[in-house]
Amino acid sequence: MRNIFTIGHNDLRLFLKRKSAFVWLFLIPLAFVYFMGFANRGGNDPSNRKPEVLIENLDTNFLGRVFMDELSAQNMSLLDPTNRGTASRIIRIPADFSAKILQHQQSKVEFLKRNGSDEANAAIIQLRLFRALIAMNGHILEVSTGSDSNGPLTEAALRGVMATPNPVKLKASFAGRQPVPSGFNFSLPGNLVMYVMMNLLIFGGTTLASERNNGVIKRMLSSPVRRMEIVLGKIYGLLLLGLVQITFFLLVGKFLFHVNLGANLPGVLIILMAFAWVAASLGVLVGSLLAAADRVSGICVLASLLLASLGGCWWPLELASPALRSVALFTPTGWALKALHQLISFGSGFEVVLVPLAVLLSFGAAATWLAARYFRS
Amino acid sequence: MSLLTVESLRKSFGTLGAVNGVTFQVQPGEIYGLLGPNGAGKTTTISMISGLLKPDAGTVKIGGTAFWADPQRARRQMGVVPQELALYEELSGKENLEFWGRLAGLGPREAKARAAELLESLELSDRANDPVKTYSGGMKRRINLGCALLHRPQLLLLDEPTVGIDPQARMNILEFIQKLRAAGTAILYTTHYLEEAESLCQRIGIIDGGRILAEGTLSQLQERLGGDRLFVIDADFTNTVPENWGAFLQRFRIIQKSERQIIAAAIGTRDPSECLKDLLELPVRVENVSLKRPSLNDVFLQLTGRNLRE
Repeated sequence: MRNIFTIGHNDLRLFLKRKSAFVWLFLIPLAFVYFMGFANRGGNDPSNRKPEVLIENLDTNFLGRVFMDELSAQNMSLLDPTNRGTASRIIRIPADFSAKILQHQQSKVEFLKRNGSDEANAAIIQLRLFRALIAMNGHILEVSTGSDSNGPLTEAALRGVMATPNPVKLKASFAGRQPVPSGFNFSLPGNLVMYVMMNLLIFGGTTLASERNNGVIKRMLSSPVRRMEIVLGKIYGLLLLGLVQITFFLLVGKFLFHVNLGANLPGVLIILMAFAWVAASLGVLVGSLLAAADRVSGICVLASLLLASLGGCWWPLELASPALRSVALFTPTGWALKALHQLISFGSGFEVVLVPLAVLLSFGAAATWLAARYFRS
Repeated sequence: MSLLTVESLRKSFGTLGAVNGVTFQVQPGEIYGLLGPNGAGKTTTISMISGLLKPDAGTVKIGGTAFWADPQRARRQMGVVPQELALYEELSGKENLEFWGRLAGLGPREAKARAAELLESLELSDRANDPVKTYSGGMKRRINLGCALLHRPQLLLLDEPTVGIDPQARMNILEFIQKLRAAGTAILYTTHYLEEAESLCQRIGIIDGGRILAEGTLSQLQERLGGDRLFVIDADFTNTVPENWGAFLQRFRIIQKSERQIIAAAIGTRDPSECLKDLLELPVRVENVSLKRPSLNDVFLQLTGRNLRE
């Protein structure tokens, strides 16, 4: 195990010493995410969008607080006044909000527009505000007409009702096909998958080919290191490189392109690492099969572009023909993207991506076996 | 006990027999030279000893234990310096040494300390942190050698470790190897440089066509040619053959013959002046006769009919 770590850490150090690594790991992918995100922008927003809204709660009594919780439960990101700049809309709860309701009078919540804000987000906020108001009125009505209806309306009673599961639930889904991911929500996972595949294939393949040509692999094999340890060490080093690229993409996506990575970031990471394992093993396999490092580069670029296009990295597979969608099922890129779109764009839980994960792990195991089988000095 | 024992080693690639029954031993504190031209089977032999290739037949024993009985144990006992510069050019000399030290089984601190020690011994401390790609050929060769020494191996396999470097750098490496021998390391040294084998090795095996043709100390090999002197006769031999020169072939063994020169060794222990008299009486117009000490090339020439450098 120690030899695997030693070889892997050394390889990562070698990859990062190459100047070209920074271009291929960071600069070019960044440009592609931007341009493809721009080219694929569209009206279809992800279903789990969490727009940011500024809440000015002037009410000091409990109903103002309860209403804020209702708003939060409607999947809105509540901002405090210090973050005013990023909010799409402002909701102002009046100072007499609780007092008026407790006196059975109507209270008006103000919904204020911010000039220059995102109109799509504003529409979502408006819709969710209506839902929160209906829910709030419903809960007040339920407390007022319930078995303890003679008593005053209290925070405890209201929260008790809110905590009770709804007897009727609405499950909404798209009729027909899945929604199509767009903008950076599409370009980020697509480019991440493409560049992880491309870089791990190229770095893995060229490194192994040149180390074989200059005798480094032979030297390793004449050291007290097992053949399988070398193969696994090489795959581990590439996995680390993949992790560097994945981390960069996710950070850039989150903070530069404001992509909502969904509620299941660990799930996204697990899928990406499983995919990186496939790419790393394929990189070692290519390096074993091909002798010349320059040929390795060319073939790896072509192979990764082909896998990217077939797997749906360049255009949403939802828009592709059924035949192309069937082909994608035979590519690791297709399964990785399927899982990533579920987690990032459609807000699905991890259980939904268990099948893609199992397929990716099968790809990884097969590629590792082949890499070990064909590894040569 | 021999540290390295090679017995009847054979290896073929398709129909080509690269190594055909090689047998030799290397003792602790001894440099055993495997001398032969390119393609003689030296690298294939080293590859089998280090476990890179499995022999078709024969055995390799390290410290009395068959290599393939416990390959990892055997590899821990040996250090291998390949003919290629098997180094990471982007890494510094220090980083290279530490990496190979870790793979040889040293802990991080031990590898660091040992790397510093070797850089000092190899006179590379001042360039320790520079990338290897900025080193001269001789410096790279020294680091290449150092990478095999981190774990203080008892047996060192050196496959033409001085190829392509200038005489001064070669001298430095040879001196370093002598120090290793003096410290008790058993060394198998393959080369096609005669001078290196003559000056460095205690025993030499002459290999060609995958076979050890002769083995022994330098003087034992010279003895095969009839002592410590050879006669070089310059004359016009175009229209004559030695078979017609009376008792010449009973008294001399021809090592090399061309139209202008014959190199011959006297058979038996005869006085040089007697030999000279015989040569001056040959039925050709002798232009010059000189005496020289037999070299390993002469031995090789006698064994194969070819010059080692051909």
